[in-house]
Amino acid sequence: MTNFALQVNGITKRYGSGTTEVAAISDISLTVAQGEIVLIMGPSGSGKTTLLLMVGALLKPTEGSIWLDGLDLTSLNERALPDIRLRQLGFIFQDFKLLSALTVLDNVAIVAELAGMTTKAARRKAADLLTELGLGERLTFLPEKLSGGEKQRVAVARALINEPRIILADEPTANLDSKIGLQIMRLLRHIAKEQGRSLIIVSHDQRIKDIADRVLWLEDGRFKDMVTMVTDPVCGMALERDKATSAVWDGQAFYFCSEGCRHEFLDNPARFQTHQDVISSPSAIHQEHSLD
Amino acid sequence: MLRFAFRNLFHKKAYFLASVGGMALALMLILSLDAIVNGIQAKITTYIDHSGADIFVSQPGVRNMHMASSTLPLTVLDQVRGVVGVESVTPIRYLGNIIAAGDDRYPAYVIGLPKDAQAGGPWQITQGVAIPKDGEIIIDRGIADAIGIGLGDSVRILSKEFRIAGLSEGTDTFINSVVFISFDDFAQLRGNTEAISFVLVKVKAGESPTAVADLIRTNVGDVNVQLRAEFATQERRVVGDMSTDIVTIMNLIGFLIGLAVMALTIYIATFARRREYGLLKALGVRSSFLYRVVLTQTLISVVIGLVLALLFTLLMSAIVSLLDVKLTLQVSPASLLKVSTVSLLIAGLAAVLPVKQIAQLEPAAVFRGA
Repeated sequence: MTNFALQVNGITKRYGSGTTEVAAISDISLTVAQGEIVLIMGPSGSGKTTLLLMVGALLKPTEGSIWLDGLDLTSLNERALPDIRLRQLGFIFQDFKLLSALTVLDNVAIVAELAGMTTKAARRKAADLLTELGLGERLTFLPEKLSGGEKQRVAVARALINEPRIILADEPTANLDSKIGLQIMRLLRHIAKEQGRSLIIVSHDQRIKDIADRVLWLEDGRFKDMVTMVTDPVCGMALERDKATSAVWDGQAFYFCSEGCRHEFLDNPARFQTHQDVISSPSAIHQEHSLD
Repeated sequence: MLRFAFRNLFHKKAYFLASVGGMALALMLILSLDAIVNGIQAKITTYIDHSGADIFVSQPGVRNMHMASSTLPLTVLDQVRGVVGVESVTPIRYLGNIIAAGDDRYPAYVIGLPKDAQAGGPWQITQGVAIPKDGEIIIDRGIADAIGIGLGDSVRILSKEFRIAGLSEGTDTFINSVVFISFDDFAQLRGNTEAISFVLVKVKAGESPTAVADLIRTNVGDVNVQLRAEFATQERRVVGDMSTDIVTIMNLIGFLIGLAVMALTIYIATFARRREYGLLKALGVRSSFLYRVVLTQTLISVVIGLVLALLFTLLMSAIVSLLDVKLTLQVSPASLLKVSTVSLLIAGLAAVLPVKQIAQLEPAAVFRGA
């Protein structure tokens, strides 16, 4: 079990009981290697957040076990979990969640202090880390004075300060423009690969697939096998290719969310030429997802 | 932790000002009322303090002057005079009554003073004589000014007219003043009594007042003997006891206002930061740390409020002393201790709800955007 940074064995999370019982997560297994970047995608309500909560030691599964760096989280007492979160896990949120009253430096240093580091050492380490992330000139700024990208870099620094084995990122690019979002994701990939930290990202952002080592599709509380995703050239919706309606034009297959989109496309395919160019890119349309 | 608590507290300046301002006002209410009572208590003993006597001898069971009546036989005088270590004895006759001039009426300690008094007379005369003859009276200069009378004018005590022969300074104690008439006039006012009220004893130089007081107790039976300081303490205690209820009520009001202000502002401040506290819990921060943060914030607010209240009260005291009013404000160590204790109590109670609020925060909610 210690070969992996994280090992999830057949976890299930059920809410309610009897006729009102709902399974948010059903019998999911997953292993994450050291330095691996795993992207978990899926529609809203698919169980992504519930899975992240359980991996993040914030929610106990109803069944199954979660091993983090050789430690079974599910067997630990509730009182032991805060220390696990503080020292072995790093968290990045979509809306940054910085402490508004603290400076950039203090936002990062406080997490190290709480993990037992002296104030002086924590502040020095935080300053070094923030400088590495290009925020050396912003140490005394309050979060309200930062741009979205800067805020997320502070959040990244906060997630890294205690040198966790695993970083959990919840929609890390959701509040960033595409350019800054890409920068942040490259930064996270660099950190994962250089420092050997595993990264689990939950996101709807298709662009993140470019930096992921593995993309998992979660739907109805289960990982789906070998899903091929395509994008409807008319409405732009992401679709499972096998479930989509299709049409062939100019020797190429196109996939649609509905008959309406298909007819609209066939009425004037040239109108969607631009989309066709985009969807012809393999990384954008024929992203193969291998599952465990 | 301290840095976090401080930053949280000072980040929203409006919250902070409301919090410490309200606290300061509430504590000032308690502190200034205490200062007023202390001022009154300090002044109420002005006659005793300036009497020049080392020892006060009174009727058994009588331990002060205010609202009290002491009657001793004249024979006590010689008995006390004969005690070793006694330099002089001065009998005074005393009555708490009213001096009237026209429609003006003022409460007063009326002192019947012998012509050869060695103690117990006015200690500062601004005009006229220091020892009144028959038919004469010495009254406080401030009272005379307030009524608009002076030397040669008349005032009434128990329907008897007295001519003002002297004006004294420092004999107004806020709740009454001290006036002096002759020993014989006093006796006539009281039905030609031979009795005296108190014996004021001065001890010889180098003698211990305590030792002399013990000797008087031993040698002169059936009297109460107190050192001047003890007698003054009893006087202050009586006035204190008389104002206890109102002071208690006002203190309670101050406490409740302070508690309400502090509890509300800390609760609102904690509520406003509940997402951040939830985030910290999600990151692995223990609730106990957050409790300490809230308690520290409360304590800081309360301490700043206390300091402000003290400064305001001292400022008010200084201003009052510059005004031509009888009132003086004295902040005593005892009332500071009391207000500090009240402050700590308020801090502790005000933190209860926020702590409960933090305890109920669900860290997982941070992932759900809550």
